[in-house]
Amino acid sequence: MKPEADQIAQMSAGQIMAEIMPLLPAGYAQGHAMLLGVMLGFCAQEFERGAEIRAADNAGMRALFAKLAPSVRDTALKEKLVAASSSHDASLKISDLNAANYELRALIIALQTDAEERRDAPAQAAIWTVLKTSAARRVLKLPGM
Amino acid sequence: MSDELSARLARYLAPKLGVRSVEVTGLSRIPGGASRETYRFRARYSCNGAEVQRGLILRRDPTASLINTERTTEFRAYRAFHKLGLPVPEVIALELGNEALDRPFFIMEEIENCAVASILAPDPYGAQAQKIGTQFFSILGQIAKAEPDAIGLSDFDGVGEESWKHEIARWEREIDEDEREPQPIARAAIRWLKRNPPPRAQKLSVVHGDYRTGNFLYDADGNIRAILDWEMAHLGDPLEDLGWALDPLWSHHNPARPAGLLPREEAIAVWEKASGLRADPKALHWWEIFASLKGAAIWISAGREYVEARNADPVNAFSGWYCLAFHNNVLAERLAAEAA
Repeated sequence: MKPEADQIAQMSAGQIMAEIMPLLPAGYAQGHAMLLGVMLGFCAQEFERGAEIRAADNAGMRALFAKLAPSVRDTALKEKLVAASSSHDASLKISDLNAANYELRALIIALQTDAEERRDAPAQAAIWTVLKTSAARRVLKLPGM
Repeated sequence: MSDELSARLARYLAPKLGVRSVEVTGLSRIPGGASRETYRFRARYSCNGAEVQRGLILRRDPTASLINTERTTEFRAYRAFHKLGLPVPEVIALELGNEALDRPFFIMEEIENCAVASILAPDPYGAQAQKIGTQFFSILGQIAKAEPDAIGLSDFDGVGEESWKHEIARWEREIDEDEREPQPIARAAIRWLKRNPPPRAQKLSVVHGDYRTGNFLYDADGNIRAILDWEMAHLGDPLEDLGWALDPLWSHHNPARPAGLLPREEAIAVWEKASGLRADPKALHWWEIFASLKGAAIWISAGREYVEARNADPVNAFSGWYCLAFHNNVLAERLAAEAA
């Protein structure tokens, strides 16, 4: 059984903080090493969840666009939403998922602005549900919390 | 740390201290945020026949950011509030040129034998939370109470009337310039803040700009000895600082105790008593949402610094990742509740 990247990152983080950090001069060097350990811990979390949270975000926004596009009066925006709602992620690579995510994010900004201008409360609530879910799933856990 | 830097520092300090020569020892870098390089050192010199030895702090601009106005602002704020009697280190010298130490810097006294709380620590203050918390919110109230004219800071950046507009414009500009990908939650926050302006400010105050846990020193007896990091000081609505100090990011994961110090209502009451001002709930709510948006803007900029390798300090990676995700979550929760 081979070690996975998240396990290696997590154990390396622990070793940096417990074994290497105390050997460094107090002050900047120790603080720097501790933060590097924390960042490695975050990398471990992201290795496990990175593709999943991005794919889920993208699917959530596409479903939202499919649902809300019919109520949008701005024709150009409506066409973009319809097209985006049936788009797909090119692959499960983080870079591909991010590229799609950034395009969808630009559209959700336009959609939310439109819903606010039209005072469409149900649409705004639906958009916030998607944004809230996305924000919650991207929160990182600090070591020891 | 390099002997050459120590020697240059010694040569610079002697005329500033009005002495023939200074010996600089123990120069070492300490944590102090990514926006400045912070060093501790000891200066030894003779003054009126007596041997003097002082712990001093050097705050030097990093290579990637040479903004003289911020350096001057920070220096002047330290000087003004030290003079006013608040626990703020005494400043020794401000240098805006590059000749002495390659970049602008300033020097101030070191407040020794103190601790600074990391936002990573779950309960840094322990049994002293109440004592430190009362001082923390009282000092913030005293900053709010100070008259900018009377302490010589009335020319600081900022406006009295509708300072909220000035601040929103500042941080929106920051996001416009530094975002590397669309930020729907920050953009929604900006629109909400513009649509729902706060009540008019009760007075024009000096706003510290980054008053929070992690930016003050306290001793073993639970006394706050120094309020630090005045580089974002400006003029504005005093509730701006209170909203920032109450932000959940600084609560050490204990939402019931802002800054990890006092229960929320008690913290506000201490601030009101010390400032002589009222923390109107509607206004404070606006400034708390603004605080999380301002945080998001700062973290977006920090993330860009790191991604573009302009400043590879891991604190920039931490800010651009952990802190931004945290504030996006806070803003989404709060703004979704507003829309419901």
